Amino acid sequence: MIEQEIRTPAPRTGDRERRRTRMLAVGGGIFIALILLRLITGESDITSSGTMGATLALAVPIGMAALGGMWSERSGVVNIGLEGMMTFGTWGAAFASYFSGNPWLGLLGGIVAGAVGGLLHAVATVTFGVDHIVSGVALNILAPGVTRYLSDLLFTDEKGGGATQSPPLPSFPTWSVPGVGKPLGSLEKHHWILISDLAGLVRGVLTNLSPITLLGILLVPVSYYLLWHTAFGLRLRSCGENPVAAESLGVKVYRMKYSAVVISGALAGIGGVFLAMVASSNYQEGQVNGRGYIGLAAMIFGNWRPGMVAGGAGLFGYTDALQLRGGAGAVHAMLLLIGIGLLALAVWRGYRRRVVAAAVSAVVGAGVLVWFFLTDALPREIVTYSPHITTLLVLAFAAQRLRMPAADGMRYRRGGGH
Amino acid sequence: MRRGVKIVAVAASAVMALSAAGCGGKKATTGGGGGGDGKKTLKVGLAYDVGGRGDKSFNDAAYAGLQKVQQELKLDVKDLEAKEGESDNDKIQRLELLAKSGYNPVVAVGFVYATALGKVAPKYPNTKFAIVDDNTIQQPNVTDLLFAEQEGSYLVGAAAAKKSQTGNIGFVGGVQTPLIKKFEAGYVAGAKKINPKIKIQIKYISQPPDFSGFKDPAKGKTIAQGMYDQGADVVYVAAGLSGSGSLEAAASAKKWFIGVDSDQWQTASAAEKPYVLTSMLKRVDTAVFNFVKSVGDGTVQKGDLRFSLKNDGIDYATSNPSALGDMTTTLNDLKQQIISGKITPPEK
Repeated sequence: MIEQEIRTPAPRTGDRERRRTRMLAVGGGIFIALILLRLITGESDITSSGTMGATLALAVPIGMAALGGMWSERSGVVNIGLEGMMTFGTWGAAFASYFSGNPWLGLLGGIVAGAVGGLLHAVATVTFGVDHIVSGVALNILAPGVTRYLSDLLFTDEKGGGATQSPPLPSFPTWSVPGVGKPLGSLEKHHWILISDLAGLVRGVLTNLSPITLLGILLVPVSYYLLWHTAFGLRLRSCGENPVAAESLGVKVYRMKYSAVVISGALAGIGGVFLAMVASSNYQEGQVNGRGYIGLAAMIFGNWRPGMVAGGAGLFGYTDALQLRGGAGAVHAMLLLIGIGLLALAVWRGYRRRVVAAAVSAVVGAGVLVWFFLTDALPREIVTYSPHITTLLVLAFAAQRLRMPAADGMRYRRGGGH
Repeated sequence: MRRGVKIVAVAASAVMALSAAGCGGKKATTGGGGGGDGKKTLKVGLAYDVGGRGDKSFNDAAYAGLQKVQQELKLDVKDLEAKEGESDNDKIQRLELLAKSGYNPVVAVGFVYATALGKVAPKYPNTKFAIVDDNTIQQPNVTDLLFAEQEGSYLVGAAAAKKSQTGNIGFVGGVQTPLIKKFEAGYVAGAKKINPKIKIQIKYISQPPDFSGFKDPAKGKTIAQGMYDQGADVVYVAAGLSGSGSLEAAASAKKWFIGVDSDQWQTASAAEKPYVLTSMLKRVDTAVFNFVKSVGDGTVQKGDLRFSLKNDGIDYATSNPSALGDMTTTLNDLKQQIISGKITPPEK
């Protein structure tokens, strides 16, 4: 598997076809499970358009960080500084949009600020060979300090601004696909099986869209195309797998790594723009609040591939949307799904004769089901952390099948292979 | 450039405060004594809670009190902001920096300063301190500014129940602490007084020790949207800065919003104003002003200073009369009953 991926730049069509069907099957299966769950528990928010819309809004910043991380790590540079680059992005968006009055310049400002963060990381790791983790952590410490200093300098005298926040910013227009909102809304209200659920999904995804959300979604296939279907992408990835071999074939490794890390910063910056200008209407200190790290988790969960990375961000966004909107009831309903899922896993493992793993899954699954039937709602304290718990569980189950770029995180010096 | 110099100065004094903190009490008396020299040299220091200036709620109420001090009493004022996710050590340094540079009195905004103030106050016996929302520190030079939030929340709860047509209302709390639970308890009791069968959706943004719930408008927006989607038509948001996100959600859903601490109708944008039903007023501004004034007069008292409906420290806003309509009669009646002691809103 590993050798094959290095030897053949693009997987054979049969492989790709199979992977695509598998992804569609998994997605459809999850959706049908959610519909069943809605029917059994009567929690209509599980598939409502509001939840789908909130999922997108919560997933976009995480997804942008994850995609940024993927670009950087595909070139062999571990990017733990995503959090800091996002912070730069939030501030850059606020600065450019507030002083120009134009939200689009805010987008540009956020991208540039994020890219500057990426450039710093690239200078430290690629040119000076600093340990990637050290440089990334330094960036995460540097970013809040720099943005606070600049806010104090530029925002305190403005109306509504202060050392910890910017004044209210101009907002982006929101787009809806015309003729979709009303009819789907009435379909959704009937709570018909499948039809209403689909209506909720489509309505949530097609109405009240911010341009940044759209941009974020589009960047997933664009990243896929650039990295896996162009010569630039092949060279970039080869630097992450074996930079010495890439160098011997004439690839400019430093240049490739620089572009990857700067693009990575720009993507994280877009995540920052979304947080400052779409999710809320001003820049605030601490606004990123760990989303850069969650993005890293989504990237690992996604096996360093764009489709799965987006799926990981979506999973986290969905559980977060559910706990924020539906609260104790909807998350409680999820227990049923998790319990049944674990029992199914136990049966599968039993069939594969992995007795210990099967027993563990069966016991935990049964425990979760007992918990579901004995209670009516989860304590608020646990509900708040359900996205984090989900991420942990999913990573624990998925971790065995992941493969990171072979030279990820390694120090590379030009000519070091001789 | 000028500001740059100022920042360097503040940073330098912070470093000095830090190094001096280790030297113990000798210097401390000088600092405290400098402030106590005479009434005319009164300098007022104030340290903000999470969310800081511009939250249009709790901290801005404190800032309003500070502005009043500056304008009416013509005193020197200095306010310092808190950092996201800072430790008690940072808070100790901030309070020491103010006390050491001769600011007297010093006001700590928010119960998060309790531990820090407990350590700093004994070191500066000549400096008068006040802390908002906490009464755990027993020191001769500390005044506790306490509020009966449940009383005002009771009134806005009654207003919500009166206004609601769906019989479904919501409460968004910033962080699930005993303080914010007081808001919830009063709100629920007030709503049930008007409509015993009313459905109340309750949600907190974060759990302690994570205090980000007071400054996460994105989550405030998502939660309020969820409540409106599920049938609520009035939502009361006691979450500091996060409330601004909830207000955006209310305006886009065209449903009612109830603000907290400051009168949020005043700070709402023109598009949002029509949807602000009322606000639960917690007059931190009055408390700060009165405290500073009493220090100036030499009449300052230690221990608890309680603010409630009775002494106008708590109230509800009537800045949007067309939304409130004739329910003010009911609300004022309830208010009188609370003042006279006929109704006692629960604290938890």
